[in-house]
Amino acid sequence: MSLKSLDPRVTRLNLPEEVLIIEPKQELDQFETYEAFHQKKEGAAYTYVGPVHAPNEDVAFLFAKEQYSRRFACVGIWVARTEHIQVTPYTNDGENVYDMMRVEEPAGRSEQPEAYEIFHLKKRGKAHAHAGRVMATSYQEALQEARKQYGEKGPIVNVWVVKSKHVLQSAEEDKDMWTTIPEKKYREAIAYRVMDKITKYKEENQTTAQ
Amino acid sequence: MNELAIKDLLYKLADDQLILGHRNSEWTGFGPILEEDIAFSSMAQDKIGHSLAFYTLLQELGEADPDTVAFTRNANQFHNNQLVELPNGEYDFSLIRHFLYDNAEIIRFEMLSQSSYEPIAKVATKLKGEVKYHVLHANTWIKNLGTSTEEAILRLQSSLNEAIPYALGMFEPSKYEQELIEAGVYPGEEAVKAEWLKRIQAVLEKTDLKLPDFATVEPKMGGRYGEHTEHLQPLLDEMAEVFKIDPTAEW
Amino acid sequence: MYGGGNVFEATKFDDLQTEDPAKLAEFEARIARGEKIEPNDWMPQLYRKQLIRMIEQHAHSEIIGALPEGTWITRAPGFRRKMAQMAKVQDEVGHAQLLYSAAETLGKTREQMLTDLINGKSKYSNVFNYPAFTWADSNIISWLIDAGAIVNQMANAKGSYGPYSRALERICAEEAFHLKYGHDAVVHMATGSPKQREMIQAALNRWWPPIMTFFGPSDKMSTHTETLMRWKVKMASNDECRQQFLDMYVPKIWELGLTVPDPNLKKNMETGQWEYTEPDWDEFKRVINGDGPCNAERLAVRRTAEERGAWVRRALLNPKAKYVKPLA
Repeated sequence: MSLKSLDPRVTRLNLPEEVLIIEPKQELDQFETYEAFHQKKEGAAYTYVGPVHAPNEDVAFLFAKEQYSRRFACVGIWVARTEHIQVTPYTNDGENVYDMMRVEEPAGRSEQPEAYEIFHLKKRGKAHAHAGRVMATSYQEALQEARKQYGEKGPIVNVWVVKSKHVLQSAEEDKDMWTTIPEKKYREAIAYRVMDKITKYKEENQTTAQ
Repeated sequence: MNELAIKDLLYKLADDQLILGHRNSEWTGFGPILEEDIAFSSMAQDKIGHSLAFYTLLQELGEADPDTVAFTRNANQFHNNQLVELPNGEYDFSLIRHFLYDNAEIIRFEMLSQSSYEPIAKVATKLKGEVKYHVLHANTWIKNLGTSTEEAILRLQSSLNEAIPYALGMFEPSKYEQELIEAGVYPGEEAVKAEWLKRIQAVLEKTDLKLPDFATVEPKMGGRYGEHTEHLQPLLDEMAEVFKIDPTAEW
Repeated sequence: MYGGGNVFEATKFDDLQTEDPAKLAEFEARIARGEKIEPNDWMPQLYRKQLIRMIEQHAHSEIIGALPEGTWITRAPGFRRKMAQMAKVQDEVGHAQLLYSAAETLGKTREQMLTDLINGKSKYSNVFNYPAFTWADSNIISWLIDAGAIVNQMANAKGSYGPYSRALERICAEEAFHLKYGHDAVVHMATGSPKQREMIQAALNRWWPPIMTFFGPSDKMSTHTETLMRWKVKMASNDECRQQFLDMYVPKIWELGLTVPDPNLKKNMETGQWEYTEPDWDEFKRVINGDGPCNAERLAVRRTAEERGAWVRRALLNPKAKYVKPLA
């Protein structure tokens, strides 16, 4: 016996009639996490939008694109595995984390300098935004470089550092995947205007909001 | 240019996308992982949007408005291929269909963006980027799952075998094929099919999946001429259930 | 979509005496200054526990909330409704994803949360245990349940936990469309043919009682509630939310000539408060504990979806991967 639902889709799922308990889900059943950043418009800094769960970078990109750029203007998406991002301590609002950090000895160094992406959080509760790219042989050196290049002005409560090679960036030629987003009016509040209908109805039927 | 030929082309493009978009929307809330649910729904919305764009071109050529055309015709008036109307089955079948269909769709859009019939060229140029994501999505999944566990490979292979006869039906020539080619409106199904085969083979080569020998496959034709499986009419009845309570009402 | 109600009950008031007084003072000072708490900050156990509970329930409410309206996803009439209904239900799934991620930053994995949902260990908003009999029910949900959810979420977005606030800001921006879409659909029905009017009034009659329970019973003010309010975990009382909802939406129902099935509903001009028939809290409790018209179906759908997708997740599982909770 399967359950008959008001939803024809559910009826087709052939649900069992009784509710059964499942085994606790295994670790990684939902995969590891990736952090996603979007670029709202040409020239704007890439800004943190949130995580996705995915089995690898390529799938994370597919997921981030629809979860974080289906509703609002976007021209590009970056994703990086959470594990690959190094995080500084958080300071109080109004402070600059670069002024308060101890310089730590790097756990390891690369032989050649490589590129690192730097993200700053200006205020708690806001989103990290891309500050720029530095060349360094370790995360610690990258932070020192970032401090010199981007860390002088204004409050910075937290910094994320990630190797550029660990960031999957959408390509220039992929931009056309986002061009029609602003035209999808059916999912914007502004497409729904019913005042005329209400006014007409109220006039004809003498209804009030009381 | 023969207007009937243009209309025939528009109907098949629009009907394919309406029916597949509808099928894909059935997955919303039931997908294998939340993120995939969201991605699949976006593509379903895009497809319904594409069908609307083509029905709108039909309206400009004197056909009824898109709602009437989409929600009041019977199965034998639909020009979609039979692949898109098949039930969703398990996720493996839906993915394989998505892969086979969208790799053909992107070629249609690329070619139509060069069409001598300007209204179609405009729509195809504008919407091409959306289909590009659909193909990226399909190919990424097939490459990932097609090289994973034995269970996944078996599932996909069996769905591929099941879908191929219907997929070949996507390239059923219309009765206006020659006219459309000569007028530079559409390069014809043979051209699309040849390119499609190259592209899907290039992806499948990177997996453990094998394309069945086409010599042994009987293509499922007829969709372009209103012949459908028993699955289409119930789909249309379900889609129009509310609309038909009062087709003249504004919902 | 989300309602309050059962969020803060049943957890015992943990003894704050066991917390480090210096750290607690620093934590409270930060919140008093209007700063947000971020995942790596020190926080009292009670704060962490209540937030996980609240955000998790909110996430479950979104994923289960996709089902009543999903009932009509294949039957939405006309292109405009069809595409919007798809997008709206998709958004609910998207919101679940955002909220599960926010809860994860506090240390509960998505695997654990999904297991607890399917096994009935965690709750979700009670309204989603009611069926959407007709297309009109779906319109009422899109309008009024989302309206209620927005009242709740706008308040919670001002809460103290950074990841939850960020998720809610995004959710509120997206839900502006839901509310307008729902209202648009209801207006079309109410000002349409006699059949359409009849459908929408019947749906409103069915949904009014669950809507009145949406924000939960009156809060019992306790030290516990006061602490959570001071910590900006709980931002408004259930009654405040209910009053605000009635203020904003009852006039919009009445102007369409629709009636609300509660003869006692009126605004007391002296107190400025709405008066209404007390909702049936016994039924509310019964349904929340599993005995509603759709509880079994809702959970069975989730369970079946998880099981049918298991082969996909198994296939792509990378045993060498390491789970790290999301950063923010």
